[in-house]
Amino acid sequence: MTDSSHHKPFRMNVTTRDNAIVLVVAGSVSMTDADRLQEKLVELAAERVAVIVLDLKEMNFICSVGLGAIIVGYLKCRHHAGQIRLVSPVPSVRELLETTRLTKLFDIYDSIEDALAE
Amino acid sequence: MIEKSIPTDLTAARRLTEEILGRAEAVGYGEDDRFAIRLALEEALINAIRHGNKFDHARKVTVSADIGAKRTTITVCDEGAGFDPAAVPDPTVDENLEKPCGRGIMLMRAYMDEVSYNTRGNEVRMAKRRCSGLPRPAGQH
Repeated sequence: MTDSSHHKPFRMNVTTRDNAIVLVVAGSVSMTDADRLQEKLVELAAERVAVIVLDLKEMNFICSVGLGAIIVGYLKCRHHAGQIRLVSPVPSVRELLETTRLTKLFDIYDSIEDALAE
Repeated sequence: MIEKSIPTDLTAARRLTEEILGRAEAVGYGEDDRFAIRLALEEALINAIRHGNKFDHARKVTVSADIGAKRTTITVCDEGAGFDPAAVPDPTVDENLEKPCGRGIMLMRAYMDEVSYNTRGNEVRMAKRRCSGLPRPAGQH
């Protein structure tokens, strides 16, 4: 599908640091993309690392199905006492996380280093 | 006015979302308004496709969008049996926070000024006043 100015292409990139995984989520997590995010988070949760950091600074949109994908990852990680931490959501996404009260489930950090420091 | 019937298909729904957002941008709606319209429209379309038409490709989703200079009104109608929106649990209470689903209606209500359903519960009508991207009143710099 052609991507317009509204729908920034959904991209993910995974890097590993010590006992953590950093997943960069960029672009729009739209209704057509949320399943891929969920599949990736379930795959990463299966690695049973202590922390998965979601770097959101380049994610400009996420729908409720995308939020659900992050929650599914959170529930999978909880099986082994793992955590998902969020980094640098853009203001509109941060407001969305606050509106849904998901800030109660997920800690938000200003940088990847801060998220890994705890 | 954009009026379209699309198949029960997420890709077709996303294309229509893009068209409506393109119209909003052309009219001059700013980023905040377009984020709100996009979110509410995606949630309505997801509900229509997933819960209303239950991914039945033989059914259609009908959308009308009136993007005015000061106000946007969008109606999304599916061919399902309908539902009672008042019976949907509040996803923001503590006991529901870990549920992956059930946030669509709450988000529509949070990001649009008006949200209402028909009696059958298979059509949602949403309206939003334009807040961002408005030209400055004369005399202001």
